Amino acid sequence: MAQAGVLPEYWSDIDQRLLTFNKLMTTKFAIGQTPKEVVWTLNKARLYHYIPVVPAEDRHPVPLLLVFALMNRPTILDLRPGHSFVEYMLARGYDVYLLDWGVPGLEDKELKFDDYVLDYMPRAIRKMKALSHSKEFSLLGWCIGAIITTIYSAMRPDDGLRNLLLLTAPLDFSRQHELTFAHWVDEKYFDVEKIIAALGNIPGEMIDYGAKALKPVENYVTNYCRLWDNLDNPRVVESWHAMNTWVTELVPMAGGVYRQLIVDLYRNNRLMNGELKIRGESVDLKKLRANLLTVIAEADHITPPCQSEPIVSKVSSTDKEVYRVNGGHIGIMAGSGAHKQTWPHIDEWLGARSE
Amino acid sequence: MPAENGNSKPIDSFEAFRGMRDAYLDAMSKVMINAVNTDEYAQASGALLNSTLTLSAPFRQALDKSMVMALQQLSLPSRQEVAALAQRFSNMEMRLDDMDAKLDRIVNLASSVPPPSAKTDSEAKRPAPAAAKVAHQASTRKR
Repeated sequence: MAQAGVLPEYWSDIDQRLLTFNKLMTTKFAIGQTPKEVVWTLNKARLYHYIPVVPAEDRHPVPLLLVFALMNRPTILDLRPGHSFVEYMLARGYDVYLLDWGVPGLEDKELKFDDYVLDYMPRAIRKMKALSHSKEFSLLGWCIGAIITTIYSAMRPDDGLRNLLLLTAPLDFSRQHELTFAHWVDEKYFDVEKIIAALGNIPGEMIDYGAKALKPVENYVTNYCRLWDNLDNPRVVESWHAMNTWVTELVPMAGGVYRQLIVDLYRNNRLMNGELKIRGESVDLKKLRANLLTVIAEADHITPPCQSEPIVSKVSSTDKEVYRVNGGHIGIMAGSGAHKQTWPHIDEWLGARSE
Repeated sequence: MPAENGNSKPIDSFEAFRGMRDAYLDAMSKVMINAVNTDEYAQASGALLNSTLTLSAPFRQALDKSMVMALQQLSLPSRQEVAALAQRFSNMEMRLDDMDAKLDRIVNLASSVPPPSAKTDSEAKRPAPAAAKVAHQASTRKR
């Protein structure tokens, strides 16, 4: 007799799961909720200042500027209340700024690293220094944001940069056989000029497909199976919803910078070889002398560890550290274990160098 | 929905199915990761992209041309014209930003000069060295 009641319960459970699943797929989670104000704009770029939560006298005097990649929104740094890197750093007394590159339009298709590094970064940094009344600052670059911050740090070593934090930084492209992307964009198969001529800016969907196709089964099947298994767990559901909202907010990449990424970096490794030129000026990594922390994700399939570690031997910094974390490209900063491992280490390292 | 036994410990009748599914997905994942790392995959995806762009090019160009003509007839700006205008706005924004930087510098310099009230009466009456020098030169020239 007990079995008679079980079947309707199964159906009711499946019905409930379908409703939750549908809601997750068709709605957006409110990400990036930490209070902030726009303090500077240029073209589509915005510099945000997060409202401090610690009294001025207890705050670190050196402000921190966060620079994320170009092809996703920077809201991953402020994913959801209670699980936000920005919120965590504010609570530990940092004066936090975020440079949001915005969404490039057709008029921005010629934007290159040159523009981001020499037009946008110095201006945003000048504004941040003026507002924070500090001559020194710290920079945190993640993914392509780490490429931009590294080039900037090497080209403008006297701008007051004290600390440079690089997260999963794709800087060295010498070990081509370990880089699936390098395989795909080999000039034998991939006509980058044809793509840029046809599309102008590279659509976010195309870049997203590239990232997901590195692990197609995980991204297109396993991810949803795991979600289905945990649809009755509100914590997992909320976390998945926030992450899915971020993942689906795609940003196109300016054609000019895409060309540099493929030709100068993926194919010719010009940054590490000392051959990269930004507006005619050579980028010499030896000029980078800020304190350096590079965070490597051991299971990163987008930026394998071999791409991030060699920077340490190329710079002149005397205070430098490589910190390895178990996790993936995004997981080390936004995963469920980030607040126990990566964030505390960043706080510990940066706090000691921000007085 | 899990059924429950006498000790109220849930029994998940789908546990075995899930185990098999996960094992299959793990195996498939390894196969697919290896597959996308091959030269054949790189070649095939490159060829697919290339042919898509080649085939769509004539249609895209024809559409662009006709759109430009239609917009001209309607006295409306084309996409390229709007983009060019936006680029000019960006240049103006940069000029404004440079002016903002200069203003900041002026304000900083001005604030670093001590206010007049901080000077003593005798200092306030005495002309500044540079002004005194100019006044002296002017007086000697007159002579």
